[in-house]
Amino acid sequence: MKKRRGSQQNTKNWSLVLGVVLVSAVLLFVVIGLFWTPYNPTAISVALKNKPPSPAHPFGTDNMGRDVLSRVMDGASTTFLISLVTVAIGLAAGTVIGALTGYYGGVVDELLMRLNDTLTSFPSILLALVLVSVIGTGKYNIILALGIIFIPSFARVVRSEYIVQKELDYVRNARLLGAGNLRIMFVHILPNTKPILLSTITIGLNNAILAEAGMSYLSLGVQPPDASLGRMLSEAQAYLMTAPWTALAPGLMIVFTVLGFSLISENLR
Amino acid sequence: MSGEKNGKAAERLLELDGVAVGFPMRRHEMSVVTHGVSFHVDRGEALGIVGESGSGKSVSMLAALGLLGNGGRVVEGSIRFYPGDGSSLELNHLTEKELCAVRGDDISMIFQEPMTSLNPVMTIGAQVEEMLLLHDDAPKEARRERVLAMLGEAGLSGVEELYEKYPHELSGGMRQRVMIAMAMLLRPRLLIADEPTTALDVTIQAKILALLKKFQEEYGTTIILISHDLGVIRSVCSRAVVMCAGEVVEQGRVEELFEHPQQEYTKRLLAAALGKGSVLQRESAPGEQMAAVVRDYSVYYEERAKKLFAAREKREVVKGVSFDVREGEIVGIVGESGCGKSTLAKAMAGLNPLTAGELTLACSRPQMVFQDPYGSLNPAKTIGWLLTEPLRIGRVGTREERRARACEMLRKVGLEEEYYDRYPGTLSGGQRQRVAIAMALMLRQKLILLDEPVSALDVTVQEQILILLVGLQKEFGLSYLFISHDMNVIHRLCDRVLVMYRGEIVESGSTDEVFRNPQHEYTKKLLEARL
Repeated sequence: MKKRRGSQQNTKNWSLVLGVVLVSAVLLFVVIGLFWTPYNPTAISVALKNKPPSPAHPFGTDNMGRDVLSRVMDGASTTFLISLVTVAIGLAAGTVIGALTGYYGGVVDELLMRLNDTLTSFPSILLALVLVSVIGTGKYNIILALGIIFIPSFARVVRSEYIVQKELDYVRNARLLGAGNLRIMFVHILPNTKPILLSTITIGLNNAILAEAGMSYLSLGVQPPDASLGRMLSEAQAYLMTAPWTALAPGLMIVFTVLGFSLISENLR
Repeated sequence: MSGEKNGKAAERLLELDGVAVGFPMRRHEMSVVTHGVSFHVDRGEALGIVGESGSGKSVSMLAALGLLGNGGRVVEGSIRFYPGDGSSLELNHLTEKELCAVRGDDISMIFQEPMTSLNPVMTIGAQVEEMLLLHDDAPKEARRERVLAMLGEAGLSGVEELYEKYPHELSGGMRQRVMIAMAMLLRPRLLIADEPTTALDVTIQAKILALLKKFQEEYGTTIILISHDLGVIRSVCSRAVVMCAGEVVEQGRVEELFEHPQQEYTKRLLAAALGKGSVLQRESAPGEQMAAVVRDYSVYYEERAKKLFAAREKREVVKGVSFDVREGEIVGIVGESGCGKSTLAKAMAGLNPLTAGELTLACSRPQMVFQDPYGSLNPAKTIGWLLTEPLRIGRVGTREERRARACEMLRKVGLEEEYYDRYPGTLSGGQRQRVAIAMALMLRQKLILLDEPVSALDVTVQEQILILLVGLQKEFGLSYLFISHDMNVIHRLCDRVLVMYRGEIVESGSTDEVFRNPQHEYTKKLLEARL
């Protein structure tokens, strides 16, 4: 009997709706930013330096007189691109590794999982720093570095799911029908990992956004004059006392995005 | 029972009066699962509640104890408990605190699954003792003495060592005895046993039931026994209530119910459960050709390696068995869980490569139907996709041809074409098992290995699946290797029967012969345990 308490059901619906609204608002904002921004996000103007919010510049201007709203619209799309590709890399590689190790087990599983343990025993941002210092800074290197860092978490989740699923009778049945190992792994079992993968993806997106912000904040990610949410926060830091609005817009953007994804992932579980 | 025998007026202990139990749905609606359930149990009596899964038998009893989960509650009627001092308690109106005093002290309950009803991280002793801690304030030594005595009474030996053991070190039967000891520790007036023996092997079932009966006779404990198994009810209870779809269909003394059932539903239950259902006769006699020849066949399991890179140890599960299956024959294998019968079937199907000995099959890919219809169908795929998968793998036919073949097979197993696009999650257990059978037939293999195909189904659904199996066997000229722990099912379906015990075949012969004149001790025990 699958029955839930009524009030629980309502809370769930409510938070799911809020999550979807937040994420779609942010997405809409980013999509508009791809084609149109109120001002040129990199246009410098000495006259407009650190101006507080006004009708012409709703979120004010930064230390080089650039419009904060325009920069957030532009920077958010960069941040989104980085986090989406990062998660995609982690998802693709992690799923393949997790499927192989979970399905076959044995020595390969032991070796890969111990390597996995080693990776997860360091703070991921630290590892990303090491990778970046080896392959260099910049937007695409950040994507690569963060992508690699994200592989273990996906691999682990997928592996544990495969260990459970491979013992179920439907897998035996597929084998009796003549399905090969690869077909069983990726056609029969993979769709059954969808629920757990979806929630891992949303958590991953959150972490990627925060990681990008962190890396750019440390000036290792997106390079000036390009904007990203983390880059903007980093630049705003020096003027936090005199022009706090320069930090407000990118900060709120990150909060809304992360909150939206979290709410959705809560409901997918 | 006691009341009438002793000539005293029967004294009520628990009475359900028009009880309707509901669970909340969306938007403040209640989904009502039982309607107007009324019955009573007298002091010292053993009452049975029979019905199929979902008939509301467990829910009614959980309602009495206030243990309904998911916000369920009694929406209509009353449940009255008479503690014996002239007063009466309306159980459905008690607060949680008042109920706590009733539970354990006056009423206790044991559940079906002895694996999950014990806490895996507490020792047996600590768990049983907790009952005393909650309801009594005896000193530590006295508590221990009482627990040990109770465990002994529940038929457990070596209680001193047992006290320190954890649940996973015990067998299913022992765990159920511990559960009974826990339930009986405070000498409750009423013991509710919800399918206490369903998860156990037949030979252990009988012992657990005898234990319940002992407590009823010695301590005058009133017992309510919930079961889908009429045999279990008959061996313990004097009176029974038959439930179907949330309503009481019939109630009365067990002998009367069994001899002269009034309602159609009771008759059907009886026919299916007592093996009175006729032997499902088949016209085609087994052919001369062999579908499978098995000689000195052993199957091994790899134990988990203890260290990284350490060689794994092999354990022999099936020990050198030999038998034949003729074309068009149904051969049954009986035995209790862990005797190796499933392992044998899986190895024959090629799912376990660790075998020794000789196996000759007439077909290339013997198919299997598994016990649990919920696990054997991939929940992420549609029925149509599942049925056409073997054809896709073998690159047979075009898309349309494959679809046509799948639809034809659906009709053959008694399902409409509309099931083609549905997902397994929307099907009942019986319907799923039909799909599983259809999948096994898609490759047109002649040998089908059936691993307890009806054990997880309700008796009336069992009946339909058995009839379907016999019909398909005749139509396609199939051979079945039919694995079951249920002697009745074996008797009705199989031409020959093999009895397995600890990995060996201890007896074999035609079904009639084995049932009429069992040779091996274990076969005799199996036959005694059935009705």
